[in-house]
Amino acid sequence: MNSSNGLRVVVTGIGSISPLGHNAVDFWDALSNGRSGIGTTTCVDPALLNIKICAEVKNYDPLTHFSDRELLLLDRFSQFALIAAKEAIADSGLDFRSDLGIETACITGTGAGGFITLDESFEKMYRQKAQRIHPMTIPKQMVSAATSQITMKHGIRGPSYSVSSACSSANHAIGDAYWMIRAGRARAAVTGGSEASLTLGAIRAWESVRVMAPDTCRPFTKNRKGMVLGEGAGIVVLEELEHAKKRGARIYAEVCGFGMSADAGDIVVPSEDGAAAAMRQAIKTSGLNADQFDYINAHGTGTGANDGCETRAIKKAFGEHARKLAISSTKSMHGHALGGAGAIEMVGVVKAVAEGVMPPTANYDVPDPECDLDYVPNTARRKPIHGALSNSFAFGGLNAVVALKKFS
Amino acid sequence: MDEVQEKIFDIIAKEARLDRALLKPEEKLTDLKIESLDMVQILFGIEDEFDIYVPQDQESFKLETLSDVVSGVKRLIAEKQAASPAKPGAA
Repeated sequence: MNSSNGLRVVVTGIGSISPLGHNAVDFWDALSNGRSGIGTTTCVDPALLNIKICAEVKNYDPLTHFSDRELLLLDRFSQFALIAAKEAIADSGLDFRSDLGIETACITGTGAGGFITLDESFEKMYRQKAQRIHPMTIPKQMVSAATSQITMKHGIRGPSYSVSSACSSANHAIGDAYWMIRAGRARAAVTGGSEASLTLGAIRAWESVRVMAPDTCRPFTKNRKGMVLGEGAGIVVLEELEHAKKRGARIYAEVCGFGMSADAGDIVVPSEDGAAAAMRQAIKTSGLNADQFDYINAHGTGTGANDGCETRAIKKAFGEHARKLAISSTKSMHGHALGGAGAIEMVGVVKAVAEGVMPPTANYDVPDPECDLDYVPNTARRKPIHGALSNSFAFGGLNAVVALKKFS
Repeated sequence: MDEVQEKIFDIIAKEARLDRALLKPEEKLTDLKIESLDMVQILFGIEDEFDIYVPQDQESFKLETLSDVVSGVKRLIAEKQAASPAKPGAA
């Protein structure tokens, strides 16, 4: 299957809220300047934590975006999704209250859904012995809440659902939305992902997996000590090319392929074969040759296990061309937003392709012989990008890779 | 002054954003056009205020007029007190 047997899909709107800012402009400014959003944890008392750093959305006051009435129904992960969706939809110029809304899909990914809502209500019940739980707890915490809220806010009435595949959630959502338009099942899609699960319980649970860095995230380096937890949302508007052209829309980039696979191996240890299979399928469905790709936004968590495995997988998928690829992990700046990560990174890749700027891997210090490719260390690189991949690999071995190319 | 009724009217006015002065006991809830989300908030507010559980079925708890709500709540308060009478000296 290649792009000749399907409709073409382009990105016409982007939105973001992340540790690097509350919109896509600030996000890209930080990303292209190698600025990190990682800092001392404030959402939980650091005295209660062994790992005292994370990447939080900073200076965030929900009341500047929503009324107290609206907030009754909005977990933090839905708030983030709505903020990014509002920006992306306004950016696209589309109005889904028209008939287009019936032909528009809304598919978003999240790993944990309304974790904070559950945490707060169960804490009240278990510890404070509260007699009752707020009646909006269920619709607020459900994993699909963010998708529902976006459809309600913007009048999107086509195929809509949420996807959950741990750290690949957002990429699976974007891939599904892409296929839907490519197959003619939808004309447009609002897609991406959101995560907000920085609670005492969740951070301590991640600590016990022993994959978290105590100081910062240094992907692909010899000194890497693990990942840094993050939060936030990314949303993109995808549109069928002819529809976008007809209305004279600004086109950022083309989504041209998507690959998925399952390792069917270990629940936490990644497999290079699984990752390589997803990349190969993304390349194959893109209609591009492997040597037409210039950039990969890596999964690049900064853990001992991932970065070496991902490097080997890239070599398997690209062969000799792997040495010519520029690869960066922007998680070194925005942290790992788990189910939302692929969406935050998607906004970065879309901008990278559109601007011809490869964002760097920040905190890159000592090279690791196990990771011997070009990781765009510390400084962004201005270079035209023809084809690009955005990698997401999840605990449980669920892999999802989106292929993009410069629109022409 | 009926304290229970006053408190219930306060909750309804706040949650359904209605003019408190316009609430009358004989008023039907359907005539007040209270949205479903607001109704859930009202029942939650009543449960919280009086520390009772409001049953879902209309036979146990009629929800037609405002005075139905008030008398239903009073009955639930009385049942609760009968089930666990206040100990002497307790606040």
